Amino acid sequence: MAIPILFVLSVFLGIFAYTTLVERKALGRIQNRFGPNRVGRWGILQPIADGLKLLIKEDIVPRRADQFVHFLAPVIAVIPSILLFSVVPVGTRLVPVDLNIGILFAFAVSTVSVLALFMGGWASRNKFSLLGAMRAVAQVVSYEVPMVLAAVAVVMAVGSLSTLRIARAQSGGILNVTNWFVFRPWGFVGFVLFTIGAMAESARTPFDIPEAESEIIAGYHTEYSGFKFALFQMGEYLASIAMAGITVTMFLGGYNGPGSGPGWVGGLISMFWFFIKLAFMIVLNIWIRGTWPRVRVDQLLGFAWKVLLPMSIANIVAVGMWHYLTFRPLAWVATTLWLVLWFVTLSKLAATENVAPRTYRYAS
Amino acid sequence: MGFIGKGLLDGMVVTARNFVGSYFDKERLVTVQYPEERVQTPENSRTFPFLVYDDNKNPVDTMRCVACKICETECPPQCIYIVMDRDEKGKPRQRPKVFDIDTSVCMQCQICVEVCPFDAIKMDNDYEKSRYGRFDELVEHLPDLLKSNEYYGRIKPTEATVVDAKLKAEKEKKAKKAAPAGAKPPTGSKS
Amino acid sequence: METIFWILSAITVLGALFAIMLRNLVHCVLSLILFFLGIAGHYFLLRADFLGAVQILIYVGAVAVLMLFAIMLTRHVTGDEGPREVLGGKWWAGMGTAIIIAGLLWAIIRKDQLAQILPAGGAQTSMVEIGKAMVTDWVVPFEAMAVLLTAALIGAVVIALEEVIRRR
Ligand code: SF4
Ligand code: SF4
Repeated sequence: MAIPILFVLSVFLGIFAYTTLVERKALGRIQNRFGPNRVGRWGILQPIADGLKLLIKEDIVPRRADQFVHFLAPVIAVIPSILLFSVVPVGTRLVPVDLNIGILFAFAVSTVSVLALFMGGWASRNKFSLLGAMRAVAQVVSYEVPMVLAAVAVVMAVGSLSTLRIARAQSGGILNVTNWFVFRPWGFVGFVLFTIGAMAESARTPFDIPEAESEIIAGYHTEYSGFKFALFQMGEYLASIAMAGITVTMFLGGYNGPGSGPGWVGGLISMFWFFIKLAFMIVLNIWIRGTWPRVRVDQLLGFAWKVLLPMSIANIVAVGMWHYLTFRPLAWVATTLWLVLWFVTLSKLAATENVAPRTYRYAS
Repeated sequence: MGFIGKGLLDGMVVTARNFVGSYFDKERLVTVQYPEERVQTPENSRTFPFLVYDDNKNPVDTMRCVACKICETECPPQCIYIVMDRDEKGKPRQRPKVFDIDTSVCMQCQICVEVCPFDAIKMDNDYEKSRYGRFDELVEHLPDLLKSNEYYGRIKPTEATVVDAKLKAEKEKKAKKAAPAGAKPPTGSKS
Repeated sequence: METIFWILSAITVLGALFAIMLRNLVHCVLSLILFFLGIAGHYFLLRADFLGAVQILIYVGAVAVLMLFAIMLTRHVTGDEGPREVLGGKWWAGMGTAIIIAGLLWAIIRKDQLAQILPAGGAQTSMVEIGKAMVTDWVVPFEAMAVLLTAALIGAVVIALEEVIRRR
């Protein structure tokens, strides 16, 4: 057990380091810039330089801050993110820990990370930090609900909370591909819901309300510097990578792909597929970050409660239909119709909130 | 066809095009890789003032500044400090002994240039003035400030030709004035 | 196992004590979270993985976070309101409650079979069994809880609505 854990930890920490670089490069290219290209060829040593820089930076604690909580927050930010990786099956032969409550464990652990955001924001005794903390708490609590419900759909279909069993349930089919849950109507909807929820949970860009630079400086980590800041960043990135891994496991077929299997060769191929899909999710995250503007606070909460929540409940009903309509073509038609109906209705409902064209008082 | 989220997807297409395009179309990448490449600054761009001298062999003696201190008084943030050079007897030498410009205070307004009656001070366009300290290192002294007229002509050719022409005209006028003045005494003595 | 139990118990008891004795409101909630985590640890130790995870998910992830959120929405965001009397004038009421609960617990642990079976056997309570029990044997209490929670929810909405209407 120790070797898979060590392997997974080091690999994912490496992925974390290079995700930051890839993200900066990709964002640069999206904005027609180069991105980091000074430290080593193509900036390949940039993460090391960044790490060193943050390590030797001065650690500033505000005098009025709550010293103990201020110190504890970054530590708590990282621990849950690392624990999340323990239930992600990386390959057929490489599962760090197979808990029979895998998914539930992941959610339980990821909720703890919101505490870190709160503690960091509250302990800094800074109004921007506090605002960031409030936003973070409201956001995470709201988005957790649709996210968990989206996961419930998968759990219902598989009949188990274990991530390994979920991954296994998606093997078979043509080329080990057609059984992935994204290729089911409910699975596709669940995938979209879960991805949105995961993005909001790890405060990635369209939902980076808690650290909106243009509004509240840096939100809850305004008062953090040096390595504590690095820990916050690390926790955030690790959580979003782990969430990407869980998304892959639940919807994108986990480690399944052409050639994956239980043997050694199949195991290696399955790891290859897992990391390809993980890379896909990370790139999708970066791409979205480079494209979409930040949502407003009220839009954020309204979207979670008025659109995502009904949709995820409808999705659960769809899984029920899928389960009982054993004649597959009928199940396809019925669930698709049902979900499309809900999507259209909710779009209409959301559209009625359209505001009138803005009238400018001073500008024309 | 419009549906919820279409605008978002359109946006993603745009950014994807940017991403891929930036690898094939060099035109897109507008970033200048600074230490290796530099942008040609426009001729009239300006940073900090410098003092012009005429003869490369003897900068100190041929500098145009006469230490009249007009620029010192006119400089809005008061960042120029001038001490007149005097010989042993205390007679002014018509040139500064100390001429300091504090570049951390100078706001690059060019007023010193406008007011100088001798075209002695001009605006530079050298923007690489970063230093390792915050105080003394940022004060420019006379030796740093002195730059040749050729240099001026190089960085601001148009302006420099006008100034040169003007100075030449003035010199000729002076010479002409001086010539009659020099020729006058004999005639005066004659009459 | 034994040592882990004692460490966890110490954490739990300390968390509970801090939760009532600290001056700062936010610190109290944070210690309460420590207490919840300790309880969850105990569940894990008893091989009740599901309960443990749910304990963290609901108590730490939702209840405590909502408490913190509620504190943040009040004027005492910083949490300190000067010295607070820890026991207050009604300390005897608290003592009475503690004694009664301790007595009840002691009686239950001594008498009830369930309490004696579980820790010894290390029985794995799977969530499938819990789920089945909920919708068969315990369906009435389960539904009653559901009704109660719904009533509470509606009540909250009504109270909030009144405020909205009054503000108009
Ligand atoms: S630079 Fe010009 S204005 Fe200033 S002291 Fe010298 S001659 Fe006078
Ligand atoms: S450019 Fe303006 S601020 Fe700078 S020395 Fe000249 S007058 Fe002073």
